[in-house]
Amino acid sequence: MAANMIKITDMEKIYRTEEVETVALNKLNIEVKNGEFVAVMGPSGCGKSTLLNILGLLDDPDNGSFVFNDIEVAHFNERRRADLRKHNIGFVFQSFNLIDELTVFENVELPLIYTGIKGPERKKRVEAVLDKVQIMHRRNHYPQQLSGGQQQRVAVARAVVNNPKLILADEPTGNLDSSNGNDVMQLLTELNEQGTTIVMVTHSEHDARYSHRIIRMLDGQTVTENILI
Amino acid sequence: MIKNYLLIAWRNLLKNKTFSIINITGLAIGLSCFLLIALYVLDELSFDKFNDKADRIYRINAALRFGGADLNFPLSSDMMGQVLKKDYPQVEDYTRIYNSNGSKLVKKGTEFITEYNVAHADSTLFNIFTLPAIEGDTKTALNEPNSVVITEKTANKYFGTSHAVGKTLETDDNTKTLYKVTAVIKDIPLNSHFNFDFFFSMKNVDYQWGQFTSHNFHTYLLLKKGTDYKAFEKNFDTYVDKYVIPEIKTFTQIKSMAEFKKAGNMLEYSLIPLTEIHLYSNRQYEFLPGGNIQYVYIFSAVAIFILIIACINFMNLTTARSSNRAREVGIRKVLGTVRKDLIKQFLIESVLMVVLSMVIAIGICYLVLPLFNSVADKTMTVRSLLSPIILPLLIGLPFVVGLLAGSYPAFFLSAFKPIEVLKGKLKLGKSGSLRSVLVVVQFTTSIMLIIGTIVIYRQLHYIQTRDIGFNKDQVLIVNNVYTLNNNAVPFKQEILKMAGVKSGTLSGYLPVSSSSRSDNVFSKSPVMDSKNGFDMQNWRIDYDYLQTFGMQLAKGRNFSKEYGSDSGAVIINETAAQILGYKDPIGQKIYRSGDAPGQEISYNIIGVVKNFNYESLKQTVGPLGLFLHSSSGFASFKVNAAYVPEILKHVESTWKAMAPGLPLKYRFLDDSFNEMYTGEQRIGKIILIFSVLAILIACLGLFGLSTFIAEQRTKEIGVRKVLGASVQGIVQLLSKEFMILVAVAFIIATPVAWWGMSKWLTNFVYRINIEWWMFALAGVLALSIALATTSFQAIKAALMNPVKSLRTE
Repeated sequence: MAANMIKITDMEKIYRTEEVETVALNKLNIEVKNGEFVAVMGPSGCGKSTLLNILGLLDDPDNGSFVFNDIEVAHFNERRRADLRKHNIGFVFQSFNLIDELTVFENVELPLIYTGIKGPERKKRVEAVLDKVQIMHRRNHYPQQLSGGQQQRVAVARAVVNNPKLILADEPTGNLDSSNGNDVMQLLTELNEQGTTIVMVTHSEHDARYSHRIIRMLDGQTVTENILI
Repeated sequence: MIKNYLLIAWRNLLKNKTFSIINITGLAIGLSCFLLIALYVLDELSFDKFNDKADRIYRINAALRFGGADLNFPLSSDMMGQVLKKDYPQVEDYTRIYNSNGSKLVKKGTEFITEYNVAHADSTLFNIFTLPAIEGDTKTALNEPNSVVITEKTANKYFGTSHAVGKTLETDDNTKTLYKVTAVIKDIPLNSHFNFDFFFSMKNVDYQWGQFTSHNFHTYLLLKKGTDYKAFEKNFDTYVDKYVIPEIKTFTQIKSMAEFKKAGNMLEYSLIPLTEIHLYSNRQYEFLPGGNIQYVYIFSAVAIFILIIACINFMNLTTARSSNRAREVGIRKVLGTVRKDLIKQFLIESVLMVVLSMVIAIGICYLVLPLFNSVADKTMTVRSLLSPIILPLLIGLPFVVGLLAGSYPAFFLSAFKPIEVLKGKLKLGKSGSLRSVLVVVQFTTSIMLIIGTIVIYRQLHYIQTRDIGFNKDQVLIVNNVYTLNNNAVPFKQEILKMAGVKSGTLSGYLPVSSSSRSDNVFSKSPVMDSKNGFDMQNWRIDYDYLQTFGMQLAKGRNFSKEYGSDSGAVIINETAAQILGYKDPIGQKIYRSGDAPGQEISYNIIGVVKNFNYESLKQTVGPLGLFLHSSSGFASFKVNAAYVPEILKHVESTWKAMAPGLPLKYRFLDDSFNEMYTGEQRIGKIILIFSVLAILIACLGLFGLSTFIAEQRTKEIGVRKVLGASVQGIVQLLSKEFMILVAVAFIIATPVAWWGMSKWLTNFVYRINIEWWMFALAGVLALSIALATTSFQAIKAALMNPVKSLRTE
């Protein structure tokens, strides 16, 4: 396995509307090693979310190279991106993005359905991961019936149920109080210790301190990189 | 304030153009369908109601079963009316109409014109029916022989003026007759069960007057106010005993009604209220083909369903837009609007939309009415929209529909909590159950209409292709050959010389409804009694009849010149053979009563012709006897299609030479055959049009609804895509719910449609079976239309970039 999970070179992303052109990423260069826990910080509009979307294969760059696990994926089509994504990447959002109509169990089960895992195996894996995030007792509840912290734990469970190599977290504690926030950060740290690479976008210096390295962005470029360990 | 509401409403219409167009068009189409059908139904229900005394006028119907065949006709004897008036004080007056010839030649200048709307009538006609005179005194107008009353239109046609009293008309039915115009009446309204242009004096009918057993007259009774006609009908038994039985006894051994009935026979009279004739009667020998109350019910149901579908759509689409309006509601609330005002605003908007739709709907009605008239065979005008029944609808409907359709979105939207709305936290409730019910209702209706259309078209196809026992193709029929008098046979011989003419026959009796008919009672033995007598059609034909029409003999032989005695011979059909019950009927005899006992005429059975359908397939094949006798109503020729133009040219020139000044009319047998089913074809077309429209409107609704749901589930779709769902999977997810609803609609629609169409098919004696594939086809059709409609939105939603839908608030 390569030492670098992610290697981004000279990446550009420009959003155009009829009147304005916004440069979201400007010749960006980033590397993330296998097993690393990286925090991305910067003011609003610096390109953090764009970066996260490209890392998550939800969006494609206009220019530059994106090597994921030694494979150049910048020019992958939608189907190949989706395929790569569902086997390798888990997402945690600020607003949880659980599906209201599905129970906790069903929400967590969803990625397994999409990767084609069989029923009994799914049950085993969902139960294991729900156990791990300590939400097993609420498996048949709907998201609205849970507290914010619980919802985010479900979201984390959903992100890791497929054993992804990479977890992308977009302000995972943004909607939580500090106690629940710490719990979630603890959970992410544990996952990282077990070998999962994590890239986390955050506004919180406190949360950033859980990571190994902080990348600071401004106007679509990295400005500094602090190594924390 | 109102101005502000209207302004916002108007700008909203313009802002969401697609939505507004779908919404308003859908409703406008629905409303115009509703209006058109309402016009049609009201027109059907209005028949004969223009008569001031309509509620007291009744027609006598007769039902006869003698020897197995059932006859139902709107006819009675020449004496019945007058003896009823004499015997029963409840009868204020009676009148008779006679039109057995069906047409007359009337001279205009030097040419004769064939007039079909002709009848002989008693003067009392004008006392009973409301047919106001423009000129002349209708009370006495027909008292004298050789007098005629004509309509205004006819007066203008023949004399160029409506002042025609005193002028003379010449007619020709074998003999020339002169009639003096004694009155001109206003044209008869189109919603009447008869539409005669000429009423000739009854005294000119060449008839053996004073009979009780021959039924050739339409008799109408005017009953005194307060008479219960059902109770009055009970007197008919007394009437039969007093007048009919004594006459029957003079030529049969039948002694009493009881004995006649005991042998399984029947002779019954009944009254039908004038205003029910058009929709409920539909007997043989009606003046005009009637309507059908079943269709009035079907159409009313369709109209109401279409209106409901359109209103449901309007509600759904308006609600669908509500998510876009949420911000506006929030801001208005923050600025201090109270809920009551918001409700008012949304209701005003929705009423405005409906008013707009109504205006467009009236425009659509105006444009398509001529087309609808031609399909429905009506002459309705847009002015009918101003009738006292429709006008309140036009004005009231926008408010009712607007308030109904607008209420849900109004209350729904105005309940939004402003802070949540503005923070974008608004969660639109699923409120799926109500909407699911609405979609099911829409598709149940659509599927029923599709099944109805399929069954009707299959049945029509079946009728047109069924083996009817004769060959209706390529038979040219020349009308009114009797006017040629002695030239009829030479005319036939002349045409037969042409290449391409295979055979030809002279006979007034054709195997389609619109030709001569006559029936008589016959018996198995010289002395007729209740058991051996039977009523049978007797047709007069010549040697070439069977060959020309391609009818097959089951037994025996055709008439032939080699047998001198064939004038005393008869060919019967299989039904008659069955009634007679002989193992081999060839060589047996049947008898017809003469003027007095002992004067019976006997006929020798020489052949049995295979049953052919001489009436429409709504009726069974009754007993029929073919006799060798001259009858020159029509000349029919079996022709080769390739030679038709030359043959027609020759027919024309021959006719001109033999009958100068007389009009030539010809047609093809298959056209006459198809005419028997124009009613059904019309219904088929109308149902087809309205089912297409109902489906279209339902699809508009479905389109709106799927837009709404796709919008609601944007976030969910985004999440699913991030987690690896494929586009196909998302489309399936979104379409599945609708498919389930359509499936539910199918399950509801199937038994209802099966029941309804089975009932419709009982109109036909010869009918198709309703088969499983008709339902399957309707289901697949509805399903694929629904799928196509919803998947458009579903695919759009599925292709959306999830990044956009998941962007953190």
